[in-house]
Amino acid sequence: VSEPQTFESAQRELEQIVERLETGQAPLDETIKLWERGEELYRFCRGQLDAAHGRIEELAQRQQPA
Amino acid sequence: VKVQALQYGDRKVYTVSAFNRGVADWLSRLPTLWIEGEVTELKRQESWQTVFFTLKDPEDGACLRVTMGRGRFDALELGLENGRRVHVYGRPELFEAKGDFRLRALSIEHYGLGDHLAALERLKTKLAGEGLFASERKRRLPSFPRRVGLVTGNDAAAKRDVLTAIQTRFPPARVLVAETYVQGPYAAGAMIDALAALCRHDELDVIVLARGGGSFEDLLPFSDERLVRAVASCPVPVVSAVGHEQDSPLCDLAADARASTPSVAARLVVPDADELVQRLDRARAGLVRGARRTVERNRERLERAHERLRRAPASTLERRSARLEHAAGRLRALAPHATLERGYAIVRTGDAILRSADGLTEGARVEVELAEGGFGARVEDVR
Repeated sequence: VSEPQTFESAQRELEQIVERLETGQAPLDETIKLWERGEELYRFCRGQLDAAHGRIEELAQRQQPA
Repeated sequence: VKVQALQYGDRKVYTVSAFNRGVADWLSRLPTLWIEGEVTELKRQESWQTVFFTLKDPEDGACLRVTMGRGRFDALELGLENGRRVHVYGRPELFEAKGDFRLRALSIEHYGLGDHLAALERLKTKLAGEGLFASERKRRLPSFPRRVGLVTGNDAAAKRDVLTAIQTRFPPARVLVAETYVQGPYAAGAMIDALAALCRHDELDVIVLARGGGSFEDLLPFSDERLVRAVASCPVPVVSAVGHEQDSPLCDLAADARASTPSVAARLVVPDADELVQRLDRARAGLVRGARRTVERNRERLERAHERLRRAPASTLERRSARLEHAAGRLRALAPHATLERGYAIVRTGDAILRSADGLTEGARVEVELAEGGFGARVEDVR
């Protein structure tokens, strides 16, 4: 499974997988694979967002007047 | 006066004395006139019978020597000083012993308010005609001057007031102060030099010309044609902060902006530091808000996708199972039992299913199968 380059590409891929699954066109065994890939993409994006959030709060803290 | 010439053959020759007497006589026939100029080189001593001074044309520096009897001079009680502008009433004369041309003054008057006003009005009309005061010549003042020049008197309250106002409004302001005369006969020239000196500094972006209130005469240097032209042609924008609201020296008209008070001058040349800090703080808060919002929006979008992802395989399975059920239903509908359920019956003789009444005889035994159970029967009649 290839690693996604950026948050945006991962998010896009995840959404494409969801759409594909929702139309119910994928063969059953592929459905499971897609689902697993989707979960992986979700964890990646979630990790990126949590990191960004943490960094923003850290900077916001530092901005508080001493 | 009859001037006698010596005769050398054909040539008529005059003695110096005779020549001077002749010129003096001729000059004495010229009318008595009013002459305007600035007093310089004033010499008056108790032991002298005559007071001497030179009258200078402020425009081009042309000079005229003037004499006046000391008694007459003292009686005028003018308190005359070098640099004062005067009208002198007198007639030209030649001091015969020296061959000196000069004006014998009969009266002297201070150049009056009315004269000043009339001269100012003429100058104003002339400079306006040249377009020196036109609004399209006005330059925009810099919003962030790297350096501010201040031309002002050396211990003037105006200097302190403007400096204080600038530093209160914008503490990091860098101000270059050029101290100079702001009053009297040398003020205009000194201020022109000060402007030029400031303009030689790097990073100078604007100049304030400041002087507190004063009498009409005190402010006259600020209407001096040379200064007004220097202000108009200054390489950086000039703010005129001269006198009070009601004063209107000509340099106000030539300057790029006019300030009636030191705080107005400060407002014109430097930004408000407090306001800048507030704006920066607002921008920084907006930055944090924006960053948080971006993360939140992406998080919501991600969670929506994840929610759909979680449901997607289940719904795929449901759909498939529903299809399976459907197929099974159709299969079941085709089985004989389902037909019997709908009220049909299967009739057999022996093992064979009856599809036709042909060959049946009355009294023959048949087996009847129903959806639920069955029974044996005999044929009553055949149709």
